[in-house]
Amino acid sequence: MKGLGYRKFKNHFFASLCTVMTLCGLFLLAFILIDIIIHGIKGVNIELFLKDPAPPGVEGGGLRNAFIGHLLITIFAVLLGVPAGILGGTYLAEYGRNNPIAKFIGVFADIMVSVPAIVIGTFVYAIVVKPFGHFSGFAGSLALAIIMFPIVLRTTENMLSLIPWSLREAAFALGAPYYKVILQVVYRGARAGILTGVLLSLARVIGEAAPLLFTSFNNNFFSTDMKKPIASLTVTIFQYATGPYDIWHNQAWAAAFAITITILIITLTARYIIKGTHK
Amino acid sequence: MNETIEIEVKNLSFYYNGNIRALKSINFVVYKNLVTALIGPSGCGKTTLLRCFNRMHDLYPKNRYEGEIILDGKNILSSDIDLIELRSKIGMVFQKPTPFPMTIFENIAYGLRLRGIKNKTELRDRVEKALKAAALFDEVKDKLNVSATELSGGQQQRLVIARALAVEPEILLFDEPTSALDPISTGKIEELLVELKKTVTIIIVTHNMQQAARISDWTGFMMLGELIEYDKTEKIFTAPAKKLTEEYVTGRFG
Amino acid sequence: MAFTNTEKNFKSASPRTFVGNYKSPAFIDKFFHVITAVSSFLIIAIIVGIFFVLLKESIPAISQFGFIKFIFSTNWDPVRELFGAGVPLFGTLVTTIIALCFSIPLSIGVAIFVTELAPEKIRGFIGGAIELLAAIPSIIYGMWGLFTLAPIMANYVEPFLQNSLGMLPVFNILFRGTPIGIDLFTAGIVLGIMIIPFSASIARDSILLTPQILKESTYALGTTHWEVIKDVILPYSKYGIFGGIVISLGRALGETMAVAFVLGNKNKLPTSLFDATTTVTVKLANEFTEADKDLYLSSLFYLVLLLFLMSFVILAISKYFLFKSKKAHT
Repeated sequence: MKGLGYRKFKNHFFASLCTVMTLCGLFLLAFILIDIIIHGIKGVNIELFLKDPAPPGVEGGGLRNAFIGHLLITIFAVLLGVPAGILGGTYLAEYGRNNPIAKFIGVFADIMVSVPAIVIGTFVYAIVVKPFGHFSGFAGSLALAIIMFPIVLRTTENMLSLIPWSLREAAFALGAPYYKVILQVVYRGARAGILTGVLLSLARVIGEAAPLLFTSFNNNFFSTDMKKPIASLTVTIFQYATGPYDIWHNQAWAAAFAITITILIITLTARYIIKGTHK
Repeated sequence: MNETIEIEVKNLSFYYNGNIRALKSINFVVYKNLVTALIGPSGCGKTTLLRCFNRMHDLYPKNRYEGEIILDGKNILSSDIDLIELRSKIGMVFQKPTPFPMTIFENIAYGLRLRGIKNKTELRDRVEKALKAAALFDEVKDKLNVSATELSGGQQQRLVIARALAVEPEILLFDEPTSALDPISTGKIEELLVELKKTVTIIIVTHNMQQAARISDWTGFMMLGELIEYDKTEKIFTAPAKKLTEEYVTGRFG
Repeated sequence: MAFTNTEKNFKSASPRTFVGNYKSPAFIDKFFHVITAVSSFLIIAIIVGIFFVLLKESIPAISQFGFIKFIFSTNWDPVRELFGAGVPLFGTLVTTIIALCFSIPLSIGVAIFVTELAPEKIRGFIGGAIELLAAIPSIIYGMWGLFTLAPIMANYVEPFLQNSLGMLPVFNILFRGTPIGIDLFTAGIVLGIMIIPFSASIARDSILLTPQILKESTYALGTTHWEVIKDVILPYSKYGIFGGIVISLGRALGETMAVAFVLGNKNKLPTSLFDATTTVTVKLANEFTEADKDLYLSSLFYLVLLLFLMSFVILAISKYFLFKSKKAHT
């Protein structure tokens, strides 16, 4: 047959090419993860969690302030962003079902998800930091909450829409008001999905640095005062990694390692939950 | 009647997903330039049998053939058969029309280009020939550069037939080709098949008994993976030898 | 279907008339309705708010520098208060282009492998591994880029490129200069690696929507696997694939940390790919908290506004492609 050998060759060639590309992708993933582990483990010791930073260039010290600060910022971000997201998503899936404005809001939510994190940081700077005259942990939480909000909203909306209408009708038939139907029946059915959405948005913001740069800024000392600048792991990594000291570089790697492990755990937990619902 | 044997099916069994037996020791012959129909209730294995002829099952893992299908002296189920060459000899038309997202011309020319035909005149001639053979040329001759997806369902199915004919196969397999079409388009395609058998051997799977009775020369009745009866169409429909066949063709089950 | 009509016509009113003695708490119902509505309308409020706040903060710079002049000016002088977006915009553009050149072939290759070539058992694993790349925060990419990739680039890759491709006409300009590793090229590569999972997973989803019967119909004509991919699957999925690429473009545009470590923030138009320069996001990250004068800060806000508008446009384009992709599949 005319040219059959050539066609078969092309077939094998492109198949190999795609395989090589995938191997490259996997190789890069492995390379990056192994690098983080190797460099990170070196710097991880109990002091990292218990001590505050030493003066620049001096050995020793830890990142206790950054861990605590990051934790506080994240907690407040979740308190601000998640309930709003769940409620908003509930509106789109339930009350706004037939309202064209719901679709409109959905599009805006997608826009918000794609806004660069640094833009959100500058926005919060303009509306919170500038008027109050100083950086604060709350401003950082607000920035992260704004990032989480549309993600949680969209996933909640999607998960609630998956619950069949007949389930709601059955609840109505028993005499339940709509809000109870939502709280007791619909939420219960969708809770795995909603939780997954929350976890994924959490995994997203834990690693963010840009929105914190101009909001919570940084703090070299231990503090739990959210009304003032507060340390965070990511901003510390930025400061330390681009700084001149080796000790700083090691600590930056250790912090990077801690963040990556946390994010991987959260992501894998979310995937595990989703798998569990597909039985 | 001058009946030459085109294909011999010998003790054909087929297993999918490892060990689930879908076809049980099938034996029959397909005659050249005639229409052979395969009928039977849903799930009887007629489509599974059809797809053995062009080895469509090879696309999916864990499928296994046993037995032989002899064409031109060779067993086409053996592993040293080149599937691309095989599919040039045996073409297939599916249940739903499957035009490529290309122009009408490019759809028909696709198989030709694959085989290295580049000469513009030759392409044009062969496309025209195929479209005429599929009784579609007059309807589309002025719009060969229009996207094939703009044709009606019946036209698309004839386009797909033309596409299969362009590479000049010896045998054409039809898997319920009119089940997605309206009665008028169905009629046109049935006429086409009767005309086409002069140049190609046709094997058609259909769940519509009347269609089989109308257009086929030989008919095979299948049930639960077995070929219950295979004979001239008149005989199957007027005086079947087996009771099961009789019950099916008289509509007692389906 | 009566079923859907019920759904459609449902009005969220409490079923007061359903069961005799049941007294429904209409107030709570109304309250819940309101707080959920307010929460969702917050989305619009925030987006509109972002736009107007950025606009307000940029007004001093806009009235001082205008639009065209600002975009093309390469000035950035905090002392003389002369600012222009030329260098950062150019840097953003070039890093994004390099990132796309790197990521597009890899993403499509991975997507094809996962959907068509990989054995069943490992498909899920590889898909999951690629998505793991997406979960890694960009600051990690930045660190890896700075400490691991940059030295490799400076010591091996860039000199190699200079001595091989760099001998050819166009490439000798692209690859000139001393390879220090902290440059446009490395930043583009890091960015490219980062955006692979975005375009790969959307491309994969799009490819999976190709109807099985279309593929079988092509095989029946006697084609090789690659021919089915090239002539039927890819054209069928092209809008979805484009949409994914545009989304990854948007990601690359707004990315800060992955590039901030390896670019150095030099406000100077690069003379080659191995030169240090800056991008919109890198400049912001480095200078925002340093800006002491009003016009300085306003110019930075002007950059943010431009970035916001760019990502808006990119998103609109991607939505267009994804919309066309949906249409093609009905």
